[in-house]
Amino acid sequence: MKKGLLLTTIFVLVFLSIFMFYEPKNLLESSANGFLMAPKVLYWGTTGQDVKDVQWKLRNWKYYDGKVDGVYGARTYRAVRRFQAKNGLNIDGVVGPSTAKAMGLNFQASKTAVKASTSTAGINQKGDVYLLARAIHGEARGEPYVGKVAVGAVILNRVRHPSFPNTVAGVIYQPLAFTAVADGQMNLTPGKDSIKAARDALNGWDPSYGCVYYWNPATATSKWIWSRKVVLKIGKHWFGN
Amino acid sequence: MKDKRWIAPTILALVLVLAIVWGYNQYTLSGKLNTALTNSHQRLLFDVKKHVENVQVALSKALVSESREQNVLLLSQIMNEAYFAQDKLSQLPVTHADIAKTEKFLTQVGDYSYSLMKNHLSGQELTSKQREALFNLQKGSAGFNAELSDLHDKLVEANFNINSITGKGKNRLEKANENMLQTRLTSLEKQMGKSPELIYDGPFSDQQLNKKPLALGDKKITLAEAEKRARNFVGTKKVGKVTSFESGKDASTVRIPSYTFSIFPKNASKESAMYIGVSTKGGKVVWMENPRAVSKANISVTQAEKKALKFLEEKGYPNMEPNYSLKYDGTVIFNFTYKDRDVTIYPDLIKVKVALDNGEVVGFDASTYLMNHQNRKIPTPKITKEKAREYVKIDFDIDSIRLALIPKGKNEVLCYEFKGKYKDSDFIIYINALNGSEEDVLQIIKNENGTLTF
Repeated sequence: MKKGLLLTTIFVLVFLSIFMFYEPKNLLESSANGFLMAPKVLYWGTTGQDVKDVQWKLRNWKYYDGKVDGVYGARTYRAVRRFQAKNGLNIDGVVGPSTAKAMGLNFQASKTAVKASTSTAGINQKGDVYLLARAIHGEARGEPYVGKVAVGAVILNRVRHPSFPNTVAGVIYQPLAFTAVADGQMNLTPGKDSIKAARDALNGWDPSYGCVYYWNPATATSKWIWSRKVVLKIGKHWFGN
Repeated sequence: MKDKRWIAPTILALVLVLAIVWGYNQYTLSGKLNTALTNSHQRLLFDVKKHVENVQVALSKALVSESREQNVLLLSQIMNEAYFAQDKLSQLPVTHADIAKTEKFLTQVGDYSYSLMKNHLSGQELTSKQREALFNLQKGSAGFNAELSDLHDKLVEANFNINSITGKGKNRLEKANENMLQTRLTSLEKQMGKSPELIYDGPFSDQQLNKKPLALGDKKITLAEAEKRARNFVGTKKVGKVTSFESGKDASTVRIPSYTFSIFPKNASKESAMYIGVSTKGGKVVWMENPRAVSKANISVTQAEKKALKFLEEKGYPNMEPNYSLKYDGTVIFNFTYKDRDVTIYPDLIKVKVALDNGEVVGFDASTYLMNHQNRKIPTPKITKEKAREYVKIDFDIDSIRLALIPKGKNEVLCYEFKGKYKDSDFIIYINALNGSEEDVLQIIKNENGTLTF
């Protein structure tokens, strides 16, 4: 009986010391690397040389049996998932930094960019497309396609409006602006439709006719939002100015 | 260990200890995160104050200074500081409703300074009206600064914690702090609302926001008529059911007031709806979008371009010229600009998206065209092509030259457009065809999917 007590005390002490001296190591920094940065990412719908590289690798390793055409379609998507499953990666069908590394690819020093010219290297819309697609996915997943484009258009209209920040990221990450950003839903992998909607919004389609607000009448808690000019209802959202 | 009664309490004790340790760690961690966030918010607030101070001082100096060079320097300083303040203000955890007008004030101060700088550089002096506007801005920023000073003092006294997001104002002090920040900024917001509209030429000016479309005419059409036009636009044969979107009481306040419809093609599921907007005035199709999936590419970009051109002619837009294209999701999108004899009119822009599987037009956007198109009197160039060439950098390798009308603020200017290369990069340079000044430089980014301009 006494032995049992002693054993327990020892156990407790050992555990206590382990946890007391265990410092959660810079959680801020490690989470920042997770999703706050936007490195080069390939996903459904991406095209180009990088996709060809990925397809070529996957084909050599027998994950992929389609053509090496540089178009990230259904077959490439499934092949990437198989590759990720085999290699113990996060299975999301998106070629991000870790998957690219596992394939032995490095997109940072992309061949085409270096060849083109130094003054245009790295300038493209891809960062904005993916960020916008994530915001659309978080905010309007269940909406009809036109509702997704409209949410993207509202974000872009805010960028051009004096009362809001002047960059896409500034608008999306403005505190208290979007619930999907506050509760982390925005960090889900965007679907095909959200990416397509983001591209359409960036190319100028605007089903909201220039609105800078939208709200869901069922969940909107702010009284202030109802003092806005009400313009149009798309899906579950009212759009206004 | 004959006695088994001890096993259960031992395990329970262990679990309890583990829970306590885990809880303690979580507690310290959340404390650290909280401090980090508070620090960052404090920094933002103090920075906003500093930037607004700098704006205020530079505005006062600009009012005193008589030399143009000095003014340009001061204005660029004002622009910088105002945008910094606006940017940082928008990162504070305050609801948008409480800072919308303040942000607008700061953006317009920056934008206005930029437009004044441009005036100065093109040789114009400040007018008395512009001086008055600067004086008003100075008063506005002084008021803002006074509020911020007051807020600043109070917060320093009260051991301030700004984290309304994380803390949710659990203790009374936090709640008081949060209210203080909100009420201060709200009272400021009320003052800002009273300041007069700034009249100037820039992308963030009120005039630009309240622009009215020029190409619609005055004839109002009914919902039924609009539906008929929408059906005709997509081709009546394809259309099944058409439903109209519910519009709100202020639907007529947007730039191009419109009726919006979902069009369901015959024998198709609900997912494959098309969407279309028809303007209430003039009954023009503003935009159309058919988000159907495109299986595989059967036609080339050149063939798609021909289809798009034919489509535009059928819909009553002759004289359109394709300029840039971008390929994505099995579709290709063309930017068409209106062409008046040999002058390309860039403000009159229509975008057409063609599916590469069967050449069907799956997207259409004429909003820019409808905003800008009108019967223009295009001036004749006062300088020749050869003369204009002299204003372009000497070693710029030119591929093509043509006349183009480009937007410049609320005006449009006639320019010679020089497309070419400089050190392996593609550029477009615009030289004013009336006075030879360089109006704009665009960089072109080409990849295998198409062309982008920056």
